[in-house]
Amino acid sequence: MRFTKRAFWVGVLLFAGLSGAVSLSSQTLHMLCSFNPEECQFYIDVFEEDTGVTVEFVRLSSGSALARVESEAANPTQSIWFAGTNSSHIVAGQKGLLEPYVSSLDELIPDNVQFKDLENHNWIGIYAGFIAFATNKDFLSQNNLQAPTSWADLLKPEFTGKIALAFPFSSGTSYTVLATLLQLGLNGTTPRSQESVDAGFAFAAQLDAQVGQYLESGSGCITLAGTGEFPICISFAHDIASRIKSQSLSLEMTFPSEGTGSEIGGMALIKGGPETASLARAYYDWALSVRAQNLYATFFRVPLNSKATVGEGVVRAADVVLADFDQNWAGNNRDAFIERWRELTGK
Amino acid sequence: MTVAARPSRFALGRRFLKDPVLWIAVALIFLLVGLFVGFPVYKLLERSLFVNGQFSLQTYADLFQKSYYLRPFFNSLHVGVVTALIGTLVAFVFAYALNRTNVPFKGLFRSVALLPIISPPFLLALAAIFLFGNQGYFTKLLGIDFQIWGFNGLVLTETLSYFPIAFIILEGVLRGIDPALEEAAFNLGGSRLRVFLTVTLPLAVPGLASALLLVFVESLADFGNPMVIGGRYTVLSSEAYFAIQSFNIPRGIALAIMLLVPPLVAFLLQHYWVSRRSRVTVTGKPSSSNLKQVPRVLRVSLTFIVFFLSGIILLFYGMVIFGSLAQAWPFDNTLTLNNYYQALNRAGEHFKDTLLIAGIATPISGILGMIVAFLVVRKRFAAKNLLEFSTMLTFALPGTVVGIGYILAFNRQPLLLTGTALIIGLAFVFRNMPVGVRAGVASLQQIDKSIEEASTNLGAGTTRTFTCITLPMILPAMFAGMAYSFVKCMTAISAVIFLVSGKWQLVTVEILGQIDNGNYSMAAALSTLVILICLGVLAVMWLFVGRSAMERIVGGN
Repeated sequence: MRFTKRAFWVGVLLFAGLSGAVSLSSQTLHMLCSFNPEECQFYIDVFEEDTGVTVEFVRLSSGSALARVESEAANPTQSIWFAGTNSSHIVAGQKGLLEPYVSSLDELIPDNVQFKDLENHNWIGIYAGFIAFATNKDFLSQNNLQAPTSWADLLKPEFTGKIALAFPFSSGTSYTVLATLLQLGLNGTTPRSQESVDAGFAFAAQLDAQVGQYLESGSGCITLAGTGEFPICISFAHDIASRIKSQSLSLEMTFPSEGTGSEIGGMALIKGGPETASLARAYYDWALSVRAQNLYATFFRVPLNSKATVGEGVVRAADVVLADFDQNWAGNNRDAFIERWRELTGK
Repeated sequence: MTVAARPSRFALGRRFLKDPVLWIAVALIFLLVGLFVGFPVYKLLERSLFVNGQFSLQTYADLFQKSYYLRPFFNSLHVGVVTALIGTLVAFVFAYALNRTNVPFKGLFRSVALLPIISPPFLLALAAIFLFGNQGYFTKLLGIDFQIWGFNGLVLTETLSYFPIAFIILEGVLRGIDPALEEAAFNLGGSRLRVFLTVTLPLAVPGLASALLLVFVESLADFGNPMVIGGRYTVLSSEAYFAIQSFNIPRGIALAIMLLVPPLVAFLLQHYWVSRRSRVTVTGKPSSSNLKQVPRVLRVSLTFIVFFLSGIILLFYGMVIFGSLAQAWPFDNTLTLNNYYQALNRAGEHFKDTLLIAGIATPISGILGMIVAFLVVRKRFAAKNLLEFSTMLTFALPGTVVGIGYILAFNRQPLLLTGTALIIGLAFVFRNMPVGVRAGVASLQQIDKSIEEASTNLGAGTTRTFTCITLPMILPAMFAGMAYSFVKCMTAISAVIFLVSGKWQLVTVEILGQIDNGNYSMAAALSTLVILICLGVLAVMWLFVGRSAMERIVGGN
């Protein structure tokens, strides 16, 4: 077994060497980033240029990022969690996984309970986004139709089987859609009342009958709307606008007149991470700065820093009818709402 | 072992003294499998069975009370059984046509049948949507609604991805059956159908069982295809991932553990059934015989079927290559090499890291697999079946959950491995090892043990017998295991999602990112490069082992 053993030890040594090399690096910030990889890299490049710090990032969707932070809690490998729907940061904070921090630039983000964790300072909002409909233009012109401009429009018979979106239990985007319907106060009910929730579920059941297919990720239906596979997609406006630009998709973007839902993208320090006390704070501060927040224009996001410039063509809160959307209410009732939705729709 | 098998306390001591290397090897293997398979699985169970520090079955009880968790369970079983049946049937047609009849272009058909072993994540499912979806090329061309979303799409893409493994097994089994047996039957006046039904098929039954089991297990644990094409038809592996996504790790684990039940039952059934028969057909070397001339009708129809199936495989791969050459697949199909330029530019590091980790993990996984197979088949020790079964555990669990298990297990001193390349490599080694073990076990079961006994009788110890006699004989199986392992290192996505670090990036993770971003052309270009690299490495293996041995690899099983 001489050969076998030698190969084994060579392997062990090589592995040991590789893992040693990781721990030697200094002035490196370890980041979890929940934007798509290209967008993560875009901001990181500027930060590295500004500060000389090297960033090594792992890209994970919000839910997966939280799962990783939670599983690694004994010895976190990452120090900062950049981007992702703040609902996941809120849960992480409740689980005691985050390091409270008040940045010197904290005041640039408006003191609104939706935009930052005013009580515990576990997380802070960095951008806002709104739910929109994306409709294939060829589909509209060939069938002589108008793009839907209200939630009610989605129930029209000509759209039956033409709509795609993600499951609310697999995607934060789709949960935002569901939570919007529930707290909207449909049929003249009081927002977030029991009647509003019931009316929302009644609508969700009708919408379910219109849906051609459910997908795994929130932005997955945008490209499929572009191909015409399912010509109508419900997703975030910034994701739709980015793809229209990067892939020259022929999509018309519209917003529901009854009021649309919104997300706040968040950021947080990870408790006990290797650079939580140092470099992670530097990035946190940087990400709140006007310079960093101005960069959001490239990806059609609305910066939360009140002094930052909103990019041209970016959909702002003033451009749409905004539902009275309470992130915390949505987050706290999540399990119950998803369970009811699954039982209602049999999905 | 030639030592008498009367198990007494003294015999145990004597056996140790007679062959200490063997017992050290057994102990070491138990330690490694225990540490890198058993321990993570234990941590997963612990996480799902303790609620706030109290033992509780609540997480599991919840699953049975909710219809929306039972349905995915039956969906998984449904897809798994149908995929295993169709996949094994397709594999058997290929194997039979190539080994028992004189269809033309055998080399070509064999290569095409083996190609989908290299199946980059997500891309085949995407190709299926663009070919057979509502706006698909074939949908428009033929005017048929293929209902590709959900069950049909899953069976199609999973059959495509997993039938090659059944083909490898069945071709090995068919080659292992001495054609003289069938010839004798012909000479006794049996018709082709009668010989097939009464001689060939019964002898192939153990192989068919193995093939069905492996395809079934792979289908249950599949992650990439349900993500893309499953749609509203959810299966357990995707539900497990959704639960983890929805901040409920224990529920995700419980769903994944449920996935272990069907393979466990199937494994036990198969083990009980197959191990009761002797399968020794190789006492020296298989005698080769001239292929039977088959009737023209059979030859033509088999050629047509194999040709048609190969066409489908090539269609999918052609689609991916086409996508990689398009400006923005499927919207702007102007041909360009720009994606490759960008892919190499941006993901060069990813390729380097992936190749390095795969390059180290592959031989280790191959050699460990052979040692386990050797010990399991040739030696007798306590808990042998437990060892054989436990190597299958991380193989049968969905990768995302294995990843979580690795984090939970290796996130504390003295085994603090998270964030290193080592944890990725270990996950690869132990998740990919079972195929090598299965190949080695099957190969050893076909080789008469008296060949090794001769070596032992001449005074060689276990080490010498293993390296000089056994290993050369099962080298093809080892390389089969390594080939599989390498390809999986290059293409598997789910286990590593939670293990990658900023320093060690993998190509598959980049492919996932591009898919998420809707940049399908870039994903296709990256995947095509992965396919080319795998083909290159397999070609080097071919040269290294030699053509004849490589042919046995294909039939090495």
